[in-house]
Parts: sequence; structure tokens; C-alpha cells
Amino acid sequence: MEHTNVLFSIGPLQVTSTVVSMWGIILVLTLLSYLATRKLKDVPGPLQNLAEMAVEKLQSFFADSLGVKHMRKYFPIFATFFIFIIVSNYSGLLPGVGHLKGMAQPTASLSVTAGLGVVAFFTTHIIGVRERGLKRYAVSFAKPLYLCVLMLPLNLIEQFIRPMSLALRLYGNMYGEETVTEQLYEIFPIGAPLIMQVLSLLFCLLQALVFTMLLSIYVSEAVEEEE
Amino acid sequence: MEKGIIAIAAALVLTLTAIATAIAQGITASRAMDAIARQPEAAGGIRGALVIALALMEALTIYGMLVAFMLVGKI
Repeated sequence: MEHTNVLFSIGPLQVTSTVVSMWGIILVLTLLSYLATRKLKDVPGPLQNLAEMAVEKLQSFFADSLGVKHMRKYFPIFATFFIFIIVSNYSGLLPGVGHLKGMAQPTASLSVTAGLGVVAFFTTHIIGVRERGLKRYAVSFAKPLYLCVLMLPLNLIEQFIRPMSLALRLYGNMYGEETVTEQLYEIFPIGAPLIMQVLSLLFCLLQALVFTMLLSIYVSEAVEEEE
Repeated sequence: MEKGIIAIAAALVLTLTAIATAIAQGITASRAMDAIARQPEAAGGIRGALVIALALMEALTIYGMLVAFMLVGKI
């Protein structure tokens, strides 16, 4: 629950439980993907089978909103977002997370989700500039041109609100869920928190889906040619 | 007195945003179901759009809830 519990500090950098658990998640994911792709075979083993299924599902999911061409080109970053967010969300369901030192649900901290939002912001604009060129991409914010005085500030404000709302949505959902579970635990410790935890099985998946789906919609908006 | 007012404010923030969001989400979901019933082939696309729309509305309640938590922290 606590977001400011500093474990130790390296110089001016304070290392919190959130950072430690993020590195833990990264290590686990790296290990899993190493093990899954170590010996690629035509007839896959269970782990390789699982990884292939996940990649195929993600590809068809992003192809819906991005189109096959751009999905193939930028698949790694979207898949990374999705896998990292969903694993972080589900890590909150492990016993002891939030109470023990060094274990905290990363996405229930505003700093982490704000970081994800900033990365999403730069992803959108870098892909937009790469696909359409700086000039044409910049002009696209002022369209339609006869209304450019009105549209330009509105569009620019929207671009800055998007990462903020992405970050706040993820943080609010995860933090709220954690708080509600805790409150239920205080009301009646046996069984009552289970209601919220079963619900959060669904919500964790939904929030990861919504984050990446919105990001892919933003990117497809930045990429597409408007006439 | 101060604390009581803050507590009422926190409760009001959450209830009012929840009421508004519930109405909006109810309308959205019922329309989406109508659309799916009328045209079951388009269910996939409608479901995707529905999830996005619901999430955007949900965000408003979440903002309200964050404000409520902040207010509760001040008591």
C-alpha cells in the first residue's frame, strides 16, 4: 500500500519497493522469454507453445486497430506495454504484495503509470513523425486549415491530456482496487476480500487491454493519412 | 465541523460521479446490445468500441474516486 517506503538509497536516488518489484518483474519476464525461445523447434514444447500463442493473439489484437503493415513494424513496443502492464497488474494478487518490504504492485503507483504515459506520448509522436515526416505531421494538428486558429490549441492540449488520462486511469483503477480490498479486509478478514479479488482478475486484464488499445488507436491516428 | 464537511464532500464526489457514469454506461451498453442483436456479425467490432467507450467513461469515476481519497486523507 505504501508508495513512499524507501528501502535504501544510492546517492540521491531512493530505491523504493515499487522499483525493486519492477526489476523483479523484468527479470522474470526476461527469464521466461529466454527459456521459451532458447531451443526453437518445429514441434513446440509447452513453453514455446504458450509464447507463440500469446504473440499470435497480440498480433491479431493490434492488427485490428493499427492495420497489418504498421502492426508488423511496431509490434515490439505495443507487446512490451501490454505484457509489462498485465504482469504488473496481476502481481498485485500475489500474497504479501503491498505488505512485505520490497514487494509492491508497480501499477498502483502514480510514478510508474506516469512514466508509462510519458513513454506512450513519445511513442505516438515519434512514430507519427517517422511515418509522415516532420512537416506533414506538424501540419496535421492544424487541420482543417481554415479553422487552424481554433483547432491548433485544442489539438495540442488534447495531445498533452492523453498521456495524463492514460496514467491516471491505470493508477486510479489499480490503487482503488487495492484500497477497496484492504477496506473489505478490515471489515471482515475471512472471505470478504475475495469478492474484490475475483473482480480484479477481470479488471487487471481489462485495464491492460484498454491502455494498449487506446495507445494503438492514438498511434493509428498519428499515422493515418487524412484527406 | 470542518472534518464533517470534508467527509460529506468526499462522499458527494464519489456518489455524484458514480451516478452520472452509471447512467452513461447503462445507455452505452444497452445501445451496444441492441446493435449486436440487430447485427450479430458485427459483434466483434462493436465489442471493441464498447470497451473503449466504457473505459473513457470509467475514467471520470476514477478521477472522482482519486479526489475522494485525497479528501479523506485530509480528515
